[in-house]
Amino acid sequence: MITVKNVSKEFVSNKKYPGFKGAIKGLFSNEKVSKVAVDNISFHINKGEIVGYIGSNGAGKSTTIKMMTGILTPTNGECLVNGVNPSKQRKINAQNIGVVFGQRTQLWWDLPLSESFTILKEIYNISDQAYQESMTFLNKILDLYSFFDRPVRTLSLGQRMRADLGAALLHNPKVLYLDEPTIGLDLVVKDNIRKAIKEINEKYQTTVILTTHDIEDIEELCSRIIVIDNGKKIYDGSLEKLKDTYGTKRKVSMEIKQLNAFEGIELSETLGVTPDLCSTRLDVEKNTLEVTFDKNKLQVPQVINAVMSIADVQDIQIQETELAEIVKAIYQHNVAK
Amino acid sequence: MIKRYSRLYKVLISQFFKVIMQSKVDFLMGLLGFFLTQILGIVFLYLIFDKIELLNGWSFEQLIFIYGFAQIPRGIDHLLTDNIWLVAWRWVISGDIDRYMLRPMNILFQIISEKLQPDALGEILIGCILVAKSISAGVSHITITNVILFFLSIIAGTIIYTSIKLFFASLAFWVKISGPFVQFAYQMADFAKYPTEIYTKSIGFIITWVIPFAFVAYLPASYFLGVENSLGIGAYIIGVEWIIAIILGIISYNMFQKGLTVYESAGN
Repeated sequence: MITVKNVSKEFVSNKKYPGFKGAIKGLFSNEKVSKVAVDNISFHINKGEIVGYIGSNGAGKSTTIKMMTGILTPTNGECLVNGVNPSKQRKINAQNIGVVFGQRTQLWWDLPLSESFTILKEIYNISDQAYQESMTFLNKILDLYSFFDRPVRTLSLGQRMRADLGAALLHNPKVLYLDEPTIGLDLVVKDNIRKAIKEINEKYQTTVILTTHDIEDIEELCSRIIVIDNGKKIYDGSLEKLKDTYGTKRKVSMEIKQLNAFEGIELSETLGVTPDLCSTRLDVEKNTLEVTFDKNKLQVPQVINAVMSIADVQDIQIQETELAEIVKAIYQHNVAK
Repeated sequence: MIKRYSRLYKVLISQFFKVIMQSKVDFLMGLLGFFLTQILGIVFLYLIFDKIELLNGWSFEQLIFIYGFAQIPRGIDHLLTDNIWLVAWRWVISGDIDRYMLRPMNILFQIISEKLQPDALGEILIGCILVAKSISAGVSHITITNVILFFLSIIAGTIIYTSIKLFFASLAFWVKISGPFVQFAYQMADFAKYPTEIYTKSIGFIITWVIPFAFVAYLPASYFLGVENSLGIGAYIIGVEWIIAIILGIISYNMFQKGLTVYESAGN
């Protein structure tokens, strides 16, 4: 459905200098600064997939999306969406795709929402029958009719996002791009939006590409994720594999009565490993001992046994590293590879 | 294709009217302001023509004809394509072009069909009044050929106006804000309201061949007045005007399309 081949995007601007003097200097200098926003990225997405496209702010997510929608022309490489090159055949591509930018609405701000849908019906040349079908379905999953007659500017953020999603789906696009669709929304609305995305994907086999900073979006929706950092693709695969590859740390917390028995004891020594593979933290108030260790080097029973040989354990909790922490680690460039 | 686009134009432009009529107070205030502006415009014109001296043997009525003739294509351009100003000043740097690029329609068409500029009706009205007044004073003969050529010339003049505006607005794709360039070009247009001969040779050359506003008004107008100008005299001047309109139209539209390929949108 979507093929991105060795795509790069470079932004060139005039070099700027600080201060007023600098501004004048800048007028006469011919120095250019170039910023590579997307650096030689390739991937292929199949029909019906929901792919999470993640990375920190400025990593190049939006730039990639904008190249796939035809807004930006790649400096190098080529995108193909449903066999169409978006920057060369923009109009054909536009008919195939739906786009929601979370921070910017595509709707007519001063008009009632119903008017926006009427205009979109004309723009996308939708037949009356197809329009009725679409609207019935979209109203079912997004409850659009409850605020259909209100001007867009008076809608709450949650309503506006539902409206934008509905507007992007009216012409039943083959590909749906969502750029931070849940940004700033409350938990209930987020949940509704996610359910809607899932339903659309199931009913129409719509391919969905989603950028987000919300880990739950990814965990609930995406079968596959692509991680981009500094314009480069650093991971492409399933969520489980990402957790396996990057989430090597495991955490066990144990409630222990005689916590003072652990003072001065290095658990890593007891287990016979180096300290960087196993660390402990004592919480005197809650009477808990937290052990964080590398799951490839140590097993949970080993750790528990070692602790129980020192003191009685009353309760045990085992935690996998959360995706949020993995992503944080990737963003901070300190992933153990 | 044409049918589909004229239907879309109707749909889009009716949205514009719905928006401006949503608030009755705003609409009435706008209307009032509009009439005041027009009255002021007419008073201003009266003052100008009251003071004007006879130039190089041009009669007062002839000057009024050229002036009025220049206002009509300017007004039509202003009425229909005012949004191009926003491209020059704001939309490129703010990333607002994005939403037009996401829809399966011609982008320039979408931009201009979202707005009509009612102020321009005044310009057109004044232009028509001045032209009618000078013709009734006998500066030109009404023949079928002349009437046809008159309308042809106004269409070509409008195309030239819009093309020049679009050309300079398209620079925004490279320099981000090109409003000042468009404004500069527009000020050049004021030269077109008077006979080109009254200016120095270099200015005359520039407004004839570089930014060809002379073709919008003075050159065709002098044909209707039966006065010989630097290109001689004859209906072929309207032909040259059309050739220039087509060339400029192609250049500026390609410039706009080329600009879209270097469009950088805006970061989130």
